[in-house]
Amino acid sequence: MRITVNGESSQIAAEKLAAALDELGYGAARVATAVNGEFVPAAMRADHALCEGDRLEILAPRQGG
Amino acid sequence: MPVFYGVEIASPLMLGTAQYPSPAIMAEAFHRSGAGVATVSVRREAAGGDGGAFWDMIEGLGVPVLPNTAGCHSVREAVTTAHMARELFGTDWIKLEVIGHEDTLQPDPFGLIEAARILCEDGFRVFPYMTEDGILAGRLLEAGCEVLMPWGAPIGTGRGLNNLYGLRTLRAQFPGVPMVIDAGLGMPSHAAQAMELGFDAVLLNTAVAKAGAPAAMAEGFARALEAGRLAHEADPMEPRDMAAPSTPVLGLAELE
Amino acid sequence: MNIDATILGAGVAGLSVAAELSARGARVRLIDPEGAPGPLACSWWAAGMLAPLCEGETAEEPVVRLGREAAAWWQAAGAAVTQAGTLVVALDRDRGELDRFARRTGGHETLDRAGVGALEPELPDRFASALHFASEAHMDPRAALETLQRTLAARGVRIERATPPQGQIIDCRGLAARDRLPGLRGVRGEMAILRAPGVGINRTVRLLHPRHPLYIVPRGDGIYMLGATQIESEGRGPASLRSVVELLNAAYALHPGLAEAQVLEIGADARPAFADNLPRIVRQEDRIHVNGLFRHGYLLAPALARMTADWVLEGNTSEFLQ
Ligand SMILES: Cc1cc2nc3c(=O)[nH]c(=O)nc-3n(C[C@H](O)[C@H](O)[C@H](O)COP(=O)(O)OP(=O)(O)OC[C@H]3O[C@@H](n4cnc5c(N)ncnc54)[C@H](O)[C@@H]3O)c2cc1C
Repeated sequence: MRITVNGESSQIAAEKLAAALDELGYGAARVATAVNGEFVPAAMRADHALCEGDRLEILAPRQGG
Repeated sequence: MPVFYGVEIASPLMLGTAQYPSPAIMAEAFHRSGAGVATVSVRREAAGGDGGAFWDMIEGLGVPVLPNTAGCHSVREAVTTAHMARELFGTDWIKLEVIGHEDTLQPDPFGLIEAARILCEDGFRVFPYMTEDGILAGRLLEAGCEVLMPWGAPIGTGRGLNNLYGLRTLRAQFPGVPMVIDAGLGMPSHAAQAMELGFDAVLLNTAVAKAGAPAAMAEGFARALEAGRLAHEADPMEPRDMAAPSTPVLGLAELE
Repeated sequence: MNIDATILGAGVAGLSVAAELSARGARVRLIDPEGAPGPLACSWWAAGMLAPLCEGETAEEPVVRLGREAAAWWQAAGAAVTQAGTLVVALDRDRGELDRFARRTGGHETLDRAGVGALEPELPDRFASALHFASEAHMDPRAALETLQRTLAARGVRIERATPPQGQIIDCRGLAARDRLPGLRGVRGEMAILRAPGVGINRTVRLLHPRHPLYIVPRGDGIYMLGATQIESEGRGPASLRSVVELLNAAYALHPGLAEAQVLEIGADARPAFADNLPRIVRQEDRIHVNGLFRHGYLLAPALARMTADWVLEGNTSEFLQ
C-alpha cells in the first residue's frame, strides 16, 4: 500500500506498523511513531494496522532549546 | 536550588543543546557552567538514523533532560509530540510550546492552556512557555502546571527582559510557584536581573551556543545567576530619588 | 608486486591518501565495493568550497590553518580550481549577523553596495554591504574526484571492488567505519543542484540567515549547487521536503532569478564527524583510520593525506594522529 512517511510518499508491503518500520529501514532505531497525528507507543506497533493513505511520522531525539 | 515537580536541580541555569559549533563544545559549555537541565527536542528521522549518537552525548552530560514541543502550532501537534518525547527520553517532563505566530514565535495562550490541561491529566509534568500574562498564568496553574516559564523576549532575539513591570507583577502575583525565564536572554546581566527579581531559573540556548566562545559564555551566565540569586536573598535596597551620603555626616571636621 | 598500503574507500579521503602516497613512490591498492566514487559516498554530494576563512566562523583553528593548503594541493593534483573568492551577504534586517561573522573570521574586506555590484552585478540591490574573502576558492567536487582517479590510473592504481588487503591498511570508509570508531557520528546535509542559465553568479555566495543559512556555488554553464542543511543525524536517506523547500526559498531570497531554475538533483548524505568536528588519523591494531572530515572533506583531505603519508612512510607524527 501507499502511505506517507515523514511527508514523503512510500510504497510498503507490510501491514503492521512494526513490520513497516523494519521494511523502511528503521529496524531497532530509537524512534517514536505517530500515525495520522496520533501517537502510537512502541508496545503497540506490532498490532497497529496501517491503511492506504496513512500519514506516518517517525521522530528521533534531537538538539533543542 | 530550584525544585521542579519535587526534583531539585543543581543549578538555576537550564541550557539548550542546539546550535553549538560542535558536540564537544556543547559538552564543555555544560561542564564549565554546571548547568542543571538540558533541553532537547524530537524531529523527523531519516531511514538509517536513530539519533543514537545524540542520545549518548546527552546522557553523557549527566543532567535531567527537558524535552520540548518546539515548532508545534496546534494543540494536537503539541500533545502528540509530547507523547513521542516521553517515550523517547523516558521522562514525563515536557517544555510545552504552542507557537501562535511564525515570525515572533509568540506563544498561543489559548492553545497553551488546552494542551497543558490535556497533558497534565495524562500525567505529564508541564513546563509551559508563556507570555508574562498573569491571567494566563492562573489558568495554567488551574490546568495542573506547577512551574511557569514566562518569556524574557521572543526566542533567539537576545533582548533581555522586555517587560520588567509585567514580569515583576507576575512574580509577585504567584509567590510560591517556581518560575523560569525562558527565551530572549542575550547577556549574563539579563540572567542576573531575572534572579534579582526573584525568578528561580533561566532557560537559554542561542546566547551561549552562538557566542564566539560558548563555554566561557555559559560560565558567565552561571556566575551571573549566582550573583542575582545572592542579591535577591540579601533583600536589596529600594531605589530612591534623593541622594543620601553613605559616609557618616556626624563628626565631620570644620575646615573652612 | 609488493604492495605498501591498501586503502579502503574511494571517497575524497581515500583517493587523496592514495594520490599522496603514490606520488611519494609508495605502491598502493584502493578498494571500494562501489568501484568508483558515486552517490553512496558522502563526497558525491559536497559543494566543493575551499573556504578555510569562512569556516573559521565556527570551526576550530586547525581547519583555518590547514585548509589554506587545499587550493594549491588540488591545483597541483590537476583539478580545475576556481579562485574567485567568497562573498558573504545578509538581508538588511540581519545586518548584525554580518558584523558577527566579520568579527569571527579574518582575511576579508567589507564591501558597500557599489562594491558588491562590481563583483556580482546581479546581486547589488538587495545587499547594502557584504564581506569578500578574496583568497578563497571552489571547484566541482565530482570532477576533482575523477581527476584523482585518472592520476591514480596513470600510476597503475585502479579502484578494485574486492581484493585481499596487503601492507598497511588505511581505512577511509567514511561513516561506514562507525563499526570500528565508536566516537564517529553522522551530520546530515541536504543539497540541490539547479540549472539557471538566466542567473549570473560568479563565485561562492553565502547568505547568513538566522533560520535558514545557505550557500550557492557556481559549477559553470549555468549550473549551481545549493547547500546545505546541518542536522545531527546519521540518516542517509533522501532529502526531506521541508529542508528542500527551505533551501529553495532562501535561494529565492538571494536571487529572485533562481525561481526560474530547473532542479537537476536533490541529494542528501551524512558527513562523518567526531565530537569536536575535527578529523583524525586513528591507529588501531590492524589498520589506521583517516576519518571525521565533517564539512571539510575537500578542504582538509590534502593536509590529512600529507599527515597520513608522513606517518606511513616516515613514521612522523602529526597533530591529528592518535
Ligand atoms: C551537502 C554537503 C556539502 C558539503 N560541502 C563540502 C564543501 O563544500 N567542502 C568540503 O571540503 N567538504 C564538504 N562536504 C563534506 C565532505 O563531503 C565530506 O567531508 C567527505 O565527503 C567525507 O569523505 P570520506 O572520503 O571520508 O567519506 P565518503 O565520501 O563517504 O567515502 C567513503 C567511501 O568508502 C566506501 N566504502 C564503504 N564501505 C566500504 C568497505 N567495506 N570497503 C571499502 N570501501 C568502503 C564507500 O563506498 C565510499 O565510497 C559536504 C558534505 C555534504 C553532505
